[in-house]
Amino acid sequence: MANVQIWPGSSNFFPGNTPFGFYDNDYQFQQDADKFSTFAARRLGYPIVDVELQDLNFYTAFEEAVTIYGNEVYAYKVIQDYLSLEGVNIGNDVPTVNGNPSLAFSSITPNMGSIIKLSEQYGTEAGTGGNVDWYTGSIALTSSVQDYDLNAWAVGQGYENRDLEIKRVFYESPPAIVKFFDPYAGTGAGTMNMMDSFGWGGYSPAINFVLMPLNYDLQVLQQIEMNDMIRRSNYSFEVQNNKLRIFPIPDGTVPNLYFQFLLKSERLANSISGNTGLIANVSNVPYTNPVYTYINSVGRSWIFEYALTLCKEMLGYVRGKYSTVPIPGSEVILNQQDLLSSSAADKVALIEKLRLYLDETSRTKLLERRSLETDYRQKELSQVPQLIYIA
Amino acid sequence: MCALFGTARDISLFRHINRELISDIITQQCAFYKYKLEETKVNIYGEAAEEKYYMGPVLLNCIIERKDKEFIETDLGIDFNFGAIFKFLRDDLLDKNKDFNIDTALYGADLVPEVGDIILYQDGYYEVDNVSANQFFVGKNPDYPNNINPLNPGLEDFGSSISIICETHQIPGDKTGISRERFL
Repeated sequence: MANVQIWPGSSNFFPGNTPFGFYDNDYQFQQDADKFSTFAARRLGYPIVDVELQDLNFYTAFEEAVTIYGNEVYAYKVIQDYLSLEGVNIGNDVPTVNGNPSLAFSSITPNMGSIIKLSEQYGTEAGTGGNVDWYTGSIALTSSVQDYDLNAWAVGQGYENRDLEIKRVFYESPPAIVKFFDPYAGTGAGTMNMMDSFGWGGYSPAINFVLMPLNYDLQVLQQIEMNDMIRRSNYSFEVQNNKLRIFPIPDGTVPNLYFQFLLKSERLANSISGNTGLIANVSNVPYTNPVYTYINSVGRSWIFEYALTLCKEMLGYVRGKYSTVPIPGSEVILNQQDLLSSSAADKVALIEKLRLYLDETSRTKLLERRSLETDYRQKELSQVPQLIYIA
Repeated sequence: MCALFGTARDISLFRHINRELISDIITQQCAFYKYKLEETKVNIYGEAAEEKYYMGPVLLNCIIERKDKEFIETDLGIDFNFGAIFKFLRDDLLDKNKDFNIDTALYGADLVPEVGDIILYQDGYYEVDNVSANQFFVGKNPDYPNNINPLNPGLEDFGSSISIICETHQIPGDKTGISRERFL
């Protein structure tokens, strides 16, 4: 087999020379690909020593570095904005870049949509909103029967067995206000109720009005409640596994007991929404690969450095496929270990550096810095002597 | 199934490294005079006492291992021995038409070292005493693939005979009949 060509000192990039071709048609990428190849080869020792890589290796490293840079930047953006992006319709709401939906050039304003969505669950459980319907049902109370199986009731109503979750049972003693007897008020629930309870509903006690302080009414109400609690059977109930037990034992005066419930299946089903066109997880947040032309010099510098570490790694693997290389009458060990360890350390350092840089531009950090700046500015301004003006 | 390691691509890498190491880093060289046996006149004892003929010289890159001078006491007095080992990359000595030599003018000497050949190194002439070519990478010499090989077809693309090593001793210049001026 003929000698496999190694780096001859120059290269000439053509679209199609990279494995994925993400940036092959970008003019700036085409220009920088060859410049990077020269840069990397020289950093690896050429022309003093041979570099056992080809232009295709350099292009591969360059493309990978650009892609990793984009991934890091966009992953950071996804983390920053995901709460505002989840549920967005990709086809309708996301602009396109080179024909593909991409947020690469979009400015994202935070919104409360996902926070509200997250809070709906609490509203559902508290009965103050939420995204799951509450239904009302009733069972006929039977005199002297304490226990009622609401699962059986549900099946009878066409619901699935054990699908009910009882949220509220309307089984309480009459409010104290309906027992309120106000001898000084000619009208009102208290007097009329009392008259009704004695069967004198058609009589009028008198027409007298005495305005009493509100705390008097409250004390009377509390007195009635305490009286009922201590001297009478308290209204209460237990619900276990949708088996309802009520206290006191019904005496037949109340025909129906009402309750509210939700369906567990609906709660689960309502947790899922959307279709294939929505942003549902970080994998389909529409960020495409970066447009190389628009990457600034800071980014490109990082890319060159990272691509160089990839070249080091590749060269290390090339030189390290065999632990020793035979030469006439002996063998030599090449510097594969140095290359591999150096490239591994450099990669970690570069990624950390980029992430730190990105983290410094997070919304939180920017606001912190702005706040600090304001504090320091105020502090500095306070050093300026305040003149006393005498009119 | 053929072999797994030592493909021609790997050997190409070794060739690059060897040529860089020997030619650009170590940069030891010697001039090789190939003995012309058919033109050399011998006496009835088979000795070429009068005239010897050589081809060359051919300038070659190599790795040279010089030995210490030895002064051996014999019945005739004190003798002198100064040896050296010349190690050549075998691919450099193959012919120009080899596909790995065809693209460069630096390699492809088309030379087979044999006992009796002369090597000029630093004004000294060294006669080849022994030639060995038994440094095979991954233990295989692709020149012997045992074709048609029903067990491992294609072995001619695996392994490599790396070196040709010539063990020599220094001889006086007048014995070779080679003038320095011709070389210079």
